[in-house]
Formats: sequence, structure tokens, C-alpha cells
Amino acid sequence: MSEIIGLKAKLGLDVFKHDKEPHIKIKPGMAKDPRLKRAVLVCPAGLYSENAQGEVEFTIDGCLECGTCRLACGTEVLEWNYPGGGTGVQFRFG
Amino acid sequence: MNIVVAMKQIPDLQQIRIRNRKPVFDDVPMTLGAIDKNALEVGVSIKESQGGKVTVLSAGNEDLEDTIKEALAAGADEALLVIDDALAVAGSDVIAMVLAAAVKKMEAAELIIFGEGSGDNYSGQVGSRVAAILDWPQVGYASSLELNGNMLRAARSLEDGEEIVEVTLPAVVTVISGINEPRIPSVTQILKAGKKPKEVLEPEDLGLQIPAEAQVLSLSNLAPESERKQVVLKSVDELVQALKNENVIGR
Amino acid sequence: MEKFDVIVVGAGLAGLAAAYTLASEGMEVLVLERGDYPGAKNVTGGRLYVNPVRELFPDLWKKAPLERFIAREGVTMMAHERSLSIGYDGNELLEEPQQSFSVLRAKFDRWLAKQAERKGAMIVDKNRVDDLVREEGRVVGVWAGGDELRADVVIACDGVLSLLAEKAGLRQPGNPKDFAVGFKEVIELDSAVINERFALEGNEGLARMYMGEVTRGKFGGGFLYTNKDSISLGIVVGIKDLMEGPNPVQAPVLLDEFKQRREIAPLIKGGATVEYAAHAIPEGGLKAMGKLYGDGILLAGDAAGFSMNIGVTVRGMEYALASGYYAAQAVIKAKAAEDFTARSLAIYESILNNSFVMEDFKSFQAAPEALENPRFFEHYPELLGNIMRDIYAVPAGPKNRLYPTIKQYMKIGELWSMFGDMRKAMKI
Repeated sequence: MSEIIGLKAKLGLDVFKHDKEPHIKIKPGMAKDPRLKRAVLVCPAGLYSENAQGEVEFTIDGCLECGTCRLACGTEVLEWNYPGGGTGVQFRFG
Repeated sequence: MNIVVAMKQIPDLQQIRIRNRKPVFDDVPMTLGAIDKNALEVGVSIKESQGGKVTVLSAGNEDLEDTIKEALAAGADEALLVIDDALAVAGSDVIAMVLAAAVKKMEAAELIIFGEGSGDNYSGQVGSRVAAILDWPQVGYASSLELNGNMLRAARSLEDGEEIVEVTLPAVVTVISGINEPRIPSVTQILKAGKKPKEVLEPEDLGLQIPAEAQVLSLSNLAPESERKQVVLKSVDELVQALKNENVIGR
Repeated sequence: MEKFDVIVVGAGLAGLAAAYTLASEGMEVLVLERGDYPGAKNVTGGRLYVNPVRELFPDLWKKAPLERFIAREGVTMMAHERSLSIGYDGNELLEEPQQSFSVLRAKFDRWLAKQAERKGAMIVDKNRVDDLVREEGRVVGVWAGGDELRADVVIACDGVLSLLAEKAGLRQPGNPKDFAVGFKEVIELDSAVINERFALEGNEGLARMYMGEVTRGKFGGGFLYTNKDSISLGIVVGIKDLMEGPNPVQAPVLLDEFKQRREIAPLIKGGATVEYAAHAIPEGGLKAMGKLYGDGILLAGDAAGFSMNIGVTVRGMEYALASGYYAAQAVIKAKAAEDFTARSLAIYESILNNSFVMEDFKSFQAAPEALENPRFFEHYPELLGNIMRDIYAVPAGPKNRLYPTIKQYMKIGELWSMFGDMRKAMKI
């Protein structure tokens, strides 16, 4: 199974614990901000995508908490915190 | 009021992975059963409103001493642990015998609260067995509790409705997960948990001998392996035809 | 309200090294970790160089759950359709004490946390630190889940983004050019299969870096480390190049392409991917570092920016361990003087300045800029690949002499650029 597995399946191998609220949010009115488009390329979990209207959509499920989107897009575009204690990804190997 | 909450140490189920069709338990952290935490929350809220003491009672291997801190942080006042490696694999009958013996040893326990089933096996037997051994009344599937002196009034959530029952203490209650939302202990509570009293017993202290092997052997709890046919279809018509050929539809 | 000598935020290598050291000296130290257990949020590529930190923790290494010692080194220049690999074997790599080890953090950090606990440190996991507690501008503790916890000093080891360093005003949110993102799969294989595939014996391990097409010419590279019964295979790529460079590509695609390369595919064949992890990495070096201390607060590990990429080696974990240790030393000195102001804690910087940590960062301060050269990641791998192709080719007709074969690639313009690149690279 070292063959190519889809990203969703790959993320499915990891342990995630549910948080009450998403810890990363696109700030209101920023969905079309060009800085946000960077996240589509840089997110290793592929959680950002651009829709037909040119807006960037985001889902928190599968977030590896790597911090790359915060570095690439900046804090004017993203509201970014770590998930609450005992939630989010829990690496078994790391 | 002396309240006993029985809790079971289980592996963090989300952390278990399957390798070569066998679950891998290496390095999987231990925790307490989810419904057991509801049971603890019931005990702690009764104590908070009516006074008294909550003792968490558990039987398992030596990891338990560490795992039980979770319960002490979440409001239990003290812990009574029966520790033996054999208890980690013992069946419901053995555990019930151990827990009942431990309760007898405690001073004047009046209410024992269990989760309806454990987080791993969910056999749902231990509460009833303990009640039987102690010869106390038992209320199962409790979705709410109300205490009035010596009288316990409980709502039981049953398939076709709700039943309200009253029992006199001492009694055993097994609760369902919907009964409450267990609290998440704060850092300060976690730190204090380490200093709360913990009594550790061995089965011999209770005059018991634990069989070294589990009485019930699980051969496998995995779904049977089946070969997938891996048919690639290009249209709905093809799909319908393929299903007909398999005698799945249109018989 | 609880009061401690020291609160350490984050049970990674820096935080645990600090806690271990402080607790060994009898200080009351609390470590707060947001993961389910220490290591749950921590990711490495995976290699730890033990030499620089061996003496700082003399009792630790014998029983440490390290994976394999690295007995074989290698680097591969990857072009589109070919690659050139260099392997290095040296007897000194086999000698004890061995210099570097592959490591998996979930296991290693949990173990290290146990050692710190044995020394008397208190470790509370599943709790996120939300903010600093400040009094008259000085850091006097942290807020965690509504609890106010106080300490003489807070050591922020909260990782590459260090939200606490920002809250303390020690630095601004990072600039993409100073960071890379690493992402990897852990691929399980029987240890016997690993030994056979990589020609290893017993607990020998292999480390191999890949440059060039693996990142589509972007700043960065691929890596492969053998663990006991798994392989860590991944990619590190500069965030700036990834977000706006030529040949745009979504990060995860790079790893899939990497896995399909014929240099890699046979090595991982039949293996089962068991985890996918990712993490940002500070790579800005000395210039990107902010302030390392303030009133009542110190930074260590990735939070301080202590990670370095000099092309052939990417290092971070030993800097984390060492900076945690030195932060602890600074706190011990400050405690002796009962003075936890920035002026007193400044000793941290002078201790670091006299250690291999800052020596390295000063020695390699030109590396980030020198390595920014895109020719290293696209042009040279292709060039080398083409030269090798022509050297090995035996055509139907007569074969060219070797020297002219190579010389045709070395036109005056090429030599001139090479010379320029060489001069820049010599700064590393």
C-alpha cells in the first residue's frame, strides 16, 4: 500500500480528536484575498481549495497543525490558533 | 453520603491501529471508559449538591495508578484500586467479584454508580453482577437521578419509553451516556489529583485468587475478510447489468 | 493559585530538556502540553545528531528509544528523467558512540517526558496555554483553560509559530521566506526487509537526501530515513517558493510524485503507510531570529528559531535539546540572584553565545541566502544528469571521448555562472 493513496485516505490514517470549534478561520470578507490563495498550494493536507467564484474554501478536518498557512497567508487573512487541549491531530509516530 | 463510582481502564480506542489484521496495542495510552466518565460526573454532582465523598473504584494492571488520576482530577475524592496483571484480561464475572469484595471492605458505601457498559467490550454485566453479589437493588439505563434522603428516584431510558423507579439505598445504578456532559478537569485540578489519597490493594488483600488466564477467549473481533471483485463500470446500465448477473437485483 | 519556579510551555525536546535539567536541580517545574501526550503534536524528518548534546544529558542516551544509528549517508541529485547518487560509507559511522540516529517523536518524547517526571517535573498534557499572565509588563505566568498559573519564569517552547513569543512582544508573525514546510509519510516495513533493501545489518540505518526535481526545482529537498521497522519518507520545501515560485504545485502532489520515482518506488514497495504528518520549520537562520528573552520569559527550540538547513544536513532537534538545557541553566542563575527581569535573564544569550548553538548559527549565517539560489535545485541536477547520461551512453556509432563530452556542457557562460555560484556556496 505504499502505492499512491489519496490525500483523504492518507489523512484517515492519522488520529484526530474533535474540537468544538475550528481553530483556523478565514477572516470575514477575506475569502477572495490573493494572500489566501497561497494556502491552496502550501497546505500539506490540501484543506484549502478555490471555488468557481474565486473564493477560497477551507475545511478544518484533517488539519495537521503544521502552521504553514499562517506563515504563508498571514494573520490579517486567517484567524489562527491551536486547537484546544487534547483535541486535533495526535501523532502516533511523529 | 458515601458514593462509589466504578470505572474501567481501557486503551484509548482511537489510538489503536490494525496491523496484519491484528490490533496493535503498543504505546497506546490508557484512559477511562467514556460512559464511566458520565458515571463519575453523576457521583461528583450528587456530592456537590448533597455533600459526602466520592471514591473511584477500579481493578486492572499497574498502569491504573496513573490512569486513575484522570478521575481524581475530575472530582473523585479518593481512589481504591485493586491491582494485578491478571485483572487486565479478566472477564466480567471476575471483575464483579473483585469490585464487590472491595465495596464490602469500604466503610458504609451507599451508592455505587457504573457506566452502562465499558468503553472497550461493552458487556454491560459488571454493574448487575456486583448488585447481585451484594444483594442490593439495581437500576439500569438511568438517564437521571434524584436523591431524597435514603430514597433514590431514577428515570430509566428504555426502548419504548421512560420508566421512573424508586429504590432505597444502598443501591447500584448504571447510567447511560446521555445523562450528563462530563467536566474537563483544569490544570489545577489535575495537579491536585496527584495528592489525593489512593489506596492500592492486591486481590490477596481481599482474600481472592485471580485466574491467570482470561476465561473468555476472543478469537477475532474483526469483520471477516472478503475478496473484492474490483469491477470497473462505465455507465449505470452496465452497473444494473452487473448487479443482475450477481443476482443482487432483478431476481 | 498555583505558583511554580518555572512553567515550561510545550513538551517537545526543548521543553522537556529544560524541565529535565531544572527538575534535576530541585526546581519546581510544570510542563504544559496541549497534545494527548508529549510527542502527540511533534514531528521530525527524522534524524537526531547526538554528539553535540551527549554531554549535556550524560545519563539519557543509553536507554533512549532511538530507532537506528545512521551507518550510511547518501545524497541524490534528481533530474526529470535521471538522477545521480552519491553514497557515503565510513567506518567512523559505525563506531560507538554513534553520531546520529533516526527517531520517531511520539515515542521518543513520551520517553523523555517520563525521564523528566522521574526527576520531579510535573507534566500536564491535554491542556493548551492560551495566554501569558502579565504584571507591569512582566511575564508572571500563563493562562491555561481558565486557570491562572504563576511562575518566576516561563520558558516558551511552543514550537515554530510560538504564539507566546508574539504575545510577549518578542517577535512578529513569521515571514514565509524564513520558513519551510516538511511533510512525510511513515511507511511500515519489516525490519528484515529494510535491512535487505538498504544493505544494512542489525540496527544500522540509512539517511538519504534528494535534491532537484523532487521539489520541482524549489528550495528544499526530499529525505528518506530508515527506522526500526518503518521508513520516514518526506519533503521539505521553502514556503515562499511553494506559494509563489514558478511551476506552481500543491504541496501534497510533490510527495506523491516523489514516491512514484523509480529511485524510490522499489524501496517502499509493499510497505504500508501508517501516518502522514507535517510541520513548518524555521530556516531563516541568525537573521530571522527575534529576541530570545524578556522579563520573566525565555524562548527555546523552534520557538526561538533554532533550526538550520545547510543543504546536506537539516538540523533542529539537537538545538532544541541544547537550548532547553541552556535556558534551564539561565533560570538557575537567575534564581540564585532572585532576579527574573530581562536584564538578569540576558545570561541566557551569553550562555548560548558560548555554546555550539550560536557558534553554528554564526558560522552558517550565510547559508539561507546562499541556498536560495534556484540553480542548485533545478539547473545543476539536470546538468549533472545530462553529463552522466552522455558518459554512460554507448551509441551505435563511435563514442565521443570523455573530456569533450563533459566540456560541451562547460561553455564559458556556464563556467562563469558556476564560478559565481561556487563563490556563494563557499560562504556556507
